[in-house]
Order: sequence, then C-alpha cells, then structure tokens
Amino acid sequence: MLAASLTAVPGNLFGNGLAVALVVLLHVQIATFITGASTLAVVSESIAMARNDPRHARLSHDLVKASAYVFTFGSAVAIFFMIWVLTALWGLFFVDLQRITFYMFVFEAAAFVVEIALLYSVYANWGRLEAYRRARLGLLVLLAVVLWFQMFFINVVASYMLTPNGGDVNQLSQVLNPTFLPLQLHRTVGNIAWAGAVLAFYAGLRYLLATRRARREAAVGTVPARSVGAMSASRFAPGSPPPAARDSRLPYWDWLGQWGVLWAVGLSLFQIWIGYSYAKEVQLHAFPAWFRMMRGALSNVFLVQIFLLGMIFILGTLYFWRRMTASGARGTRTQIVCLVIIVLATLLAIQPAWFALSLPDVQAAHLDRPWWDGGLLNPIGDFIPNKVFALVVIMLCGLVAITSYLRAYSRGEVRMGETTRRLQGVLLALGVTVSLMMATMGVIRENSRQPFLIHGELRLQHQQIVTTPPQAPP
Amino acid sequence: MLRFATRPLSRRFRSGYRWVDERAGTTDLVHKGLYEAVPDRGAWAYTLGSATLVLIVLQFFTGIFLLLTYVPSFASAWDSLRFLQTSDRFGNWVRGMHLWSAYVLILVIGLHMLRTFLSASYKRPRELNWVSGGILFFLVLGLAITGAMLPMDNAGYWTTVVVTNIPHYLPFIGDAIRTLWRGGDFVGPITLTRTFAIHIWVLPFLLLALIGAHLYLLRRHGEFGAWVNYSTTTDDPDREIAERIRRAEPPYPTLRIERQYAAPRKTVGFFPNQLFKDTVVSIVLVAIIFVFGFIAGAPLDARADPATLTYVPSPEWFYLPLDQLLVLTPQTYLIAFGVFLLVGLGSLALILLPFYDRSPARRPLSRPEVLVPGLFLAFMVVILAVLGVNRLYGL
Ligand code: HEM
Repeated sequence: MLAASLTAVPGNLFGNGLAVALVVLLHVQIATFITGASTLAVVSESIAMARNDPRHARLSHDLVKASAYVFTFGSAVAIFFMIWVLTALWGLFFVDLQRITFYMFVFEAAAFVVEIALLYSVYANWGRLEAYRRARLGLLVLLAVVLWFQMFFINVVASYMLTPNGGDVNQLSQVLNPTFLPLQLHRTVGNIAWAGAVLAFYAGLRYLLATRRARREAAVGTVPARSVGAMSASRFAPGSPPPAARDSRLPYWDWLGQWGVLWAVGLSLFQIWIGYSYAKEVQLHAFPAWFRMMRGALSNVFLVQIFLLGMIFILGTLYFWRRMTASGARGTRTQIVCLVIIVLATLLAIQPAWFALSLPDVQAAHLDRPWWDGGLLNPIGDFIPNKVFALVVIMLCGLVAITSYLRAYSRGEVRMGETTRRLQGVLLALGVTVSLMMATMGVIRENSRQPFLIHGELRLQHQQIVTTPPQAPP
Repeated sequence: MLRFATRPLSRRFRSGYRWVDERAGTTDLVHKGLYEAVPDRGAWAYTLGSATLVLIVLQFFTGIFLLLTYVPSFASAWDSLRFLQTSDRFGNWVRGMHLWSAYVLILVIGLHMLRTFLSASYKRPRELNWVSGGILFFLVLGLAITGAMLPMDNAGYWTTVVVTNIPHYLPFIGDAIRTLWRGGDFVGPITLTRTFAIHIWVLPFLLLALIGAHLYLLRRHGEFGAWVNYSTTTDDPDREIAERIRRAEPPYPTLRIERQYAAPRKTVGFFPNQLFKDTVVSIVLVAIIFVFGFIAGAPLDARADPATLTYVPSPEWFYLPLDQLLVLTPQTYLIAFGVFLLVGLGSLALILLPFYDRSPARRPLSRPEVLVPGLFLAFMVVILAVLGVNRLYGL
C-alpha cells in the first residue's frame, strides 16, 4: 500500500507536463539572461576601462545590479522547479536522470555556490572595488566563466536526454553526446543575443517613459512639440532643471538600444547555421525526434520558429534603416535593399511544405501530390533547397545590414539622441520576438522526444524504463 | 693563462673571417640584415611572421631526415615508415616533430594572417605582401594535405582517394586533372609517386620562392606594425607628422602614401629588440614541438587496404571546417556549390582583399566594413571546427 502510494505520481500527465513547461519557460528566460548579461558586463567593463567610456561603465554596473535582482527571483524559481515540479510530479524519471547524470548535477550545484558568492560580492562591493578596477573585472570574468560552466553541465543533461548515445554507461559519451556541442554553442551565442534583446527592450521602454513625461508636460506648456529636441526644450519652462540635465539621459537610452540590437541581431547570424547543425545531429542520432520536429506534429510549430527568426532580422534591419535615417546618415539605401530581400526571403521560408498537420497525415490521405495536382503538398515550402536558400540569404543580408550600420556609426554619422519614439516600438517588438522565439524553441525541443523522456530509453507514459532497443533510422 | 691559450686561435679566426669578409661582404650583409628600423609598439604581435619562418625551416629539416628512410612506393612506403617507427632510435620522434610542427605552423600562420588583417598592414603600399602571403597560406595547406597522403596507411590511402577525386567535380577539365594526378582512373602506384613529387619538390619550390618575395617586400616597405604607432600626440598633428617623415629612417617613408601612416612615431632596431622577442617565441614553439613530437609522435594506421568496408575516413583537423561545411551543404549542391563556388570565391576574395579595401583607415574599429565580415568568417571557421570535432567523436 505504502509502496504503491510512493510510486504513484500525483496529478495527470497533461497537468504535470504543463507545470514543467510553464516553469521551465520562465526559468529559461531568466537563466539565459543572467548568463548572457555576465558576458556583456565583461565586455562593457573592459571597454569602460580601456576607453574611459562612462556609458559602458554605467552599463556594466547596471548589468550586475540587474543580474543580482533577477537571480534572487530566478533562484527561487529554480528551487521550486527542482523540488516541487521535478521531484514531486516527475519523481520516477528525475531519480533515474539524477542517477545517470549524477556528476553533472553535483558540478552544477557547486557552480551555483560559486556563482552566488561571486555575484553578490561584486554587487555589494561595486563602489568599494572602484579603486581596484582590474580586480573587479577579474571577478566579472570569473562570474562569466562560472555561469558558462553552469550552462555546460546542464546542457550535458539536456542534450543527453535527446541523444543518449550510451551516455548512461560511459561518462565521456554522456558529455560528448552528439547534440552536446551544438547545444552548447547554440546557447552560448543565444544567451548573449537574448541579453542584448533585453537591453534593447529596456532601453526602448525607458526612452518612451522619459519622453512621455516630457510630451505630457509639453502639451500643458505653450510651445508645441515638433521633435524630441523641441519636446524636451518645452518641458523646461522657467523654474525646471536646465535642459542639459534633462537631455543627457535620452542619448544614453538611444545608445543602449542600438547596442542591444547589435548583439541580438549580430549573434543571431550564427544561430542560423549552428541551429541547422544541431538539427542535423538530431537527424543522424535521434531520427524519430527529428521526424516529429520537421515532418510530424511539430512541423508547423517549426514554421512559427522560422517566422520569428525572420522577424528578428526584419526588425533589426528596420531599426538600422530608420535609425540611420533619423540621423541623416549615408547608406540607408543598402538597408532598404537588405530589408526588402529579408522580407521576401522570410516569406519564402515560412511557406508550409504541406497543408496539413504533418506529412504522415498527407500520406495517409494519399494526397502526397503538389497542390496544383489536387494534392496537399507545397513544393515551394521544401526545406531543401528553398528554405536553406532563404536562410542563407537572410544571413548574408543581415551581415550586410549590420556592417553598413556600423560603418555609418564608426564615421560618426549616427549621433546618439537623434532617435524617434516609433523606433523604440521596434526595440520593444524585437525583445518580445526573441523571447517568443526562445519559448517556441523550448517547446519544439522538449516535445520532439515524445513519447520518450530520455530518447529511446525512458518513456513519458508512467515514466517507465522500456526494454525495447531504440529505433534505428529507416 | 686562458687568454694566452685562446689568443692565437681567436686571432686565427679573425684573420680567416677578414679574408672571407673582403671577398663576400659578410659584415655588410649581417648589418643589412640586423639593423633595420621596426615600429616600437606591438612587437610581440610582429613575432608571428618570423615564427612561421622558423617552423617552415624546421619542416625542411625534419623532412630531410624523413627522406633518408621513406620509400616513395606504393608497396614499400608503409613498411619504410613502420621501420622508422620501430627500429630507428629517433625516427618516431622526428616524424612526430614533422607532424606537430605542421600543426603548429598552420595555427601560427593563421594567427599571422589574422594579425596583419586586424592591423590593416595590407594597405598601400603593402598589397603584394598580403597577396604573396595569401598564396603562401594555400601552399602550406597544400603541403599539409599532400603530406597526409604519403604514409599509405589506411588514413593516407583514403585521404588520397577523397582528395584526388575533388577535381572531378570541376566542370570540363576536372576529369583530366584527376586522371593526371592519379596516373589513371584509380588511385595506384603512380598516384603516390606524383603526390610525393608535389610534396617534396613542386610546393616547397614555390614556397621558398614566395617566401623570398614576401621577405623582400617586407624589407622594401618596412614593417608597418599597427595603428598604435601612428597616432599623433601634439596639438599640431600636421607638423608632427611632417617632422616624423623628415626624420624617418629608411625604408620609411617609402612611397607617397597617406602621410599619417608613412612613418611610425618611434622605431627601435630589429636587432636586438625585435630579434630577441622573435627568438623567445620561436624557441617556445619549437620546444612545444619537441615535446609533442616525443610524447605523442605521429600515428601510423594499419597498412592501406583498398578493399576495406569498415574503415571510417576522417579528415585532418585543419580541414574540419570545410568538411563540416560540406556536411551541412544539402547533397544536391554538395561539391559544385560547396567546394568550388563558396570556397573558391572565398579564397579569391581573401587574396584580393587589399584591392577592394582601400580606405585609408587602419584602426580596426574604424573599418567595420571589413572587420565585421572578417570576424564573422573567423568565428564561422572556429565554430565549424568545433561542430566537426563533435561529429567525428559521434561517428
Ligand atoms: C610561409 C608563410 C609566411 C612567412 C614565412 C611570413 C613571414 C613574414 C614575416 C617574417 C613578416 C614580418 C614580421 C611580421 O610582421 O610578423 C611578415 C609580414 C607580413 N606578412 Fe607574412 N609570412 C607568411 C605568410 C603570410 C600570410 C599567409 C599573410 C596574409 C595573407 C601574410 C601577410 C603579411 C603582411 C601583410 C605582412 C606585413 C606586416 C606589416 O608590415 O605590418 N604573410 N611575414
């Protein structure tokens, strides 16, 4: 009786799955931000020291503060996740997973201890360490390294679940399972891109808030607002603080916004083909999961992901174009051309390859003919070559757009503070897009293994060990 | 006592030296070689070129020793190396050094390239330094891959099969080149003889000729160094630069180029300053190669077996990025697009870099138009290599 109640898992599969999904999605957004922010803090602190740039000095401090605040909440989520969701609702599976990847979890826990010590030491002593900037930078570098390893250990676990590759008997195979390195690369790059997107979002928001106040007050005042400059000037009727003090914040938010966009869009250039390699390994080593993802029930979710990917580049290029226009910089025509091509390529990339839930559905209905022959297939949406072509084009145009923006920036043609409120909307949209993209990827990744929890070894239903050998690719 | 004992000898040496010097002008030559102005700042970064040179010399040296034993024949190549591994006291070590030195060379030449790219050393008037260097880079890669074919173990044999097949995908002339290289339709004894000749004579000859040109050009224009040597510090930059050019030691300024980059702010003598740093770096590298050659040696697979069905060929690590790119390239466009178009155009773009990046800017942050694509490419190569390692482990 007792044994039965101990092995029975509370709740039902759907509810428990939803609990994992929700908590993990929240956890991912937080953990990736902290990891990426630690790298960006190192970058900014280094630049601040090398070039004596107050904007970067402020940003590195802000990033550490934000990490400390977010970590406080994030660690609570993580503990909740481990204790309640995984141990209580998924106990059978989680015990097995813990046994197999025991050392990874031990190292992970150890890394947490070091992280807490480092993060709070730097956070609490930021001012005191001002006199020892190299030491402070050293601590920041250590923090970034520890966070990277934290991700390393958990990525071993996560990738092992998708492509176990005999990792339950051989520790080295567990670490170097086929999808480990692609996942590690994907997340290393992705974390920083996400941190950049958060910065862009935050900067856009702060800019809007700052100018909204100014606009409201301008409406009350006598001078009609024509531009940002006019707005802020009108705010300073006799008796208010001088315009210089007021204006000095807007260039910072403008600068921060473009800094964030550059990271978010620039690093996403790599994600296209790192993600492609990742999918390739899944195809080679966990074929059923790949099939579900690309041809099965998740194939349409994958289209959503490609759409979001295209949107990142569309929004990025739109931002570069309008931002350059706002400053009257040269080279906006390049941006327009890139934008048009990226939009077209995205339209090509989001073409569904079949008008149904999955390819097997189409085949079951014996409608695997092109739509012009009365079938349900849409050859325009074929991954090879069309989507590959579209992705390569998006990547190349994204590269050109970023290069062209930086070129204008390095020649001093993009002056900070000359942005518009509408452009901040683009920043907000970019932040939301990247966040949605991460969530979509998480859903695809975790669902592709179904019906397995550990691919080929541990099933979702009843969380039992199965004895049948893993399915070989056909 | 000591002075008494050595004096006659040193005196004899001195008079012997004077005899040679009067006829060959050695002192002049040594002076010309050693006394050269080099920019003051960033000297450690400029050691990479001479380190490359030292490693190439080491390759020649160890290569000559390998030639004393190696037999370039389909039937005996493997046996001769097996003999070298097992019965020759230092054979394995020398072979290991030849391999590890090649590995380190590829890394160092890559770093040298990256450094001259970052410092925009290839701009006017040093365009040909870059072009000759770029060709040298591909020659070194060619040497590495032809060298990998020579042992005629399984790895060497299958590398030969794969590599000699690549020209086949070239339209029109591809098959002719493959037949010429292989000495027939299939890999056979003649293939090895020809590859051997390429590795021992053709490529080294071109390499030496181009290194000569590369170093001649270096001496003609002087070491550019990096932008840190060219900034102005006074309120009147024009006067400062004019003064700098007036007092510049030859070969600065060589041609009439942007005045700011004509002559460095401060130079030091190549000897002893730069030479000391060059020596330190080279010694460290050579020491690493000695140690790795001794500990790790060079692998020799089983004797080549053209009929094997179980052997899984894997590329040399420095071709991993290319290999991984091919894995990622959809089959239909595999070779024609992946190898010839992408890699061919990419290589051409690399070699011709000085001819389209002609802006006067030298600071990396002032030239995002080449820095961003360049770094993208560099990261891409590294990431592809990592992905390739992962795939090979999973095989
Ligand atoms: C066999 C291979 C090579 C050898 C032996 C070699 C040797 C050297 C040496 C000794 C220097 C002067 C010291 C220094 O700046 O590091 C130099 C400079 C230079 N090398 Fe190379 N190099 C080789 C390959 C390359 C490659 C692959 C490139 C680029 C594609 C290159 C481009 C340059 C340039 C542009 C300079 C002038 C640097 C300056 O003036 O600042 N070299 N090389």
